[in-house]
Amino acid sequence: MSPAGGATTVMGGPRDDQAAILADRLGRRYGDVTAVESVSLAIRPGEFFALLGPNGAGKTTTLHMLTTMLRPTSGTAAVFGFDVARQPHEVRRLLGMVFQDPALDDRLTARENLEIHAVLYGIGRKEREQVIDRALGWAALTEARDRRVRSFSGGMKRRLELARALTHSPKVLFLDEPTIGLDPQGRRNLWEHIDALREGGMTVLMTTHNLPEAEACDRVGIMDAGRLVAVGTPRELVARHGGGASDGGAEPGAAEHGGVDRRAPDPARRGADLEDVFIALTGKQLRDEQATARDRLVSFAKRGGEHTR
Amino acid sequence: MSAANRDAPGIFGAKAVGIRSWAGIAPAVVLVMWRREMKRYLRDRSQIFGGFSRTVLWLVILGYGLGASLREIEGYTYGQYILPGVIVLNVLFAALQCAIALVWDREVGLLREVVVSPAPMFSVTLGKLLGGATISLIQGSIPLLFAPLIGVHLSVGGLLGAWGVIFCLGAFMTAVGVIIATRLKTFEGFGSISNGVIQPLYFLSGSIFPLRGVIGGVGFLDIPDQLRDELRRIGVFAIGGGWVVQLPEWLKVLVYVNPVSYQLDLLRHALLRFHQLPMIADVLVTVLAPVLAAVVAAALMRRMTAQR
Repeated sequence: MSPAGGATTVMGGPRDDQAAILADRLGRRYGDVTAVESVSLAIRPGEFFALLGPNGAGKTTTLHMLTTMLRPTSGTAAVFGFDVARQPHEVRRLLGMVFQDPALDDRLTARENLEIHAVLYGIGRKEREQVIDRALGWAALTEARDRRVRSFSGGMKRRLELARALTHSPKVLFLDEPTIGLDPQGRRNLWEHIDALREGGMTVLMTTHNLPEAEACDRVGIMDAGRLVAVGTPRELVARHGGGASDGGAEPGAAEHGGVDRRAPDPARRGADLEDVFIALTGKQLRDEQATARDRLVSFAKRGGEHTR
Repeated sequence: MSAANRDAPGIFGAKAVGIRSWAGIAPAVVLVMWRREMKRYLRDRSQIFGGFSRTVLWLVILGYGLGASLREIEGYTYGQYILPGVIVLNVLFAALQCAIALVWDREVGLLREVVVSPAPMFSVTLGKLLGGATISLIQGSIPLLFAPLIGVHLSVGGLLGAWGVIFCLGAFMTAVGVIIATRLKTFEGFGSISNGVIQPLYFLSGSIFPLRGVIGGVGFLDIPDQLRDELRRIGVFAIGGGWVVQLPEWLKVLVYVNPVSYQLDLLRHALLRFHQLPMIADVLVTVLAPVLAAVVAAALMRRMTAQR
């Protein structure tokens, strides 16, 4: 792995089994608008990687290309050697996904949501009950298994989604802003669950706005205006871009060998941190975006939406 | 990496065996999506309540209310005449509500999860269409409970025939709803669907007024011969105590291009042994329309959920 930012790694060909996720000059245009431009990235199996960036930086678009939902308009990407554009079926079997907003049927119970997932991924009928029970236990939702998801708190929904994303034994987990909208208790609890996965060697790619969370990852990629502007361990980034306020002793490479704080993110950290790096790289300008059709639907949903009819 | 490695059980011990499917049809996926629709419907009391309240309003209140001035249509009371129409109205609501939920599902619901799964989208669509048709069958049967009240006696054959037509109509309208839903970017209420789709299809299907035929009106039981001749001169035919209906040409055209007119006509034939359109057209439209609409709906669903 090369710590240099920007175009870091080139495709290693089909024999490069080391990379869990490999993106080579990945790009996505919508007409004249470039959402993502020439993102190259290699993520090792077992690595915990955060994509950080302001609103509209292209994080979610990148994630959607890697998860086969969007077709790249330039470049290529592969998940464990399977091309996301040409072998989407193989890629889908390998990945678990947690979306930014809950992707649950809130009129169904927790158990029923998991059951649908198990069928969609072809988990055998005999195994299904056992797997669902284990998933519910892992998410601490055994008591709430037969309650409709509509009555769940944000934290419960997110735990259910995380457990669901794991039921088909994926090799890579994609988390799109996993802790957004959760209270500090919910956030901490979810993070403990994510941390447990990490201990088990799961490869995780998450997008986030939350700097302390990014700081707790193995490596961070900072995106701005569709480009990957820096990649490295949090310490490397602070050393490289954090100005003079670095906490010292953060030479590249040292962080990889146990130097990274693997515990739950602590918001009250030392002076110079990833926030300085973030602002240094992406500027102070506010990113105001126009509400899309989807945003209007989401806000309608939050006002009661479907159930108001 | 090796296949064995890929299929290694994860933290919950699952070993995915893969989805059994033939030509995009995975029975397990179709069944689970159908069951999802049924559960959503059975837990939504407002929909079942709506089915009853619509029936009472149209069949009982309008049936008796308007029936007081329109005494009969081709020998049937007004309540009897509109019974198939009220069934169709319930089916239109049931099928479109089921289908339009797709807009939600796509943006803030389960569909995104379905899209990133390896399950074949055709099976997902099929489960949805069968679910919509089954819900339509239940909602469409509510007015049949009122049949004895308005003096319609159902035979076993008539009931089975009616259920067949209702199921086909439900599948057709769910597919039409799915087609609409794939074109909708946002959705802020069911009102536009109700006013823009359901009501035109309902009113232009011959559901509440006949396309042609003799209508008996109160107070015209004894029409003097002189009046009868004068009416004939201006083109209105009064036979016995009734009037011969002659719809304006433009209205006729709108009714004839509405596929629901034919499905309704066949339903009326099954329930009342009375129909107004060519039987061959009724049968062809009822059987072919759902198949064609389902093919288009499946193609649009695939396009909507494919890598864009």
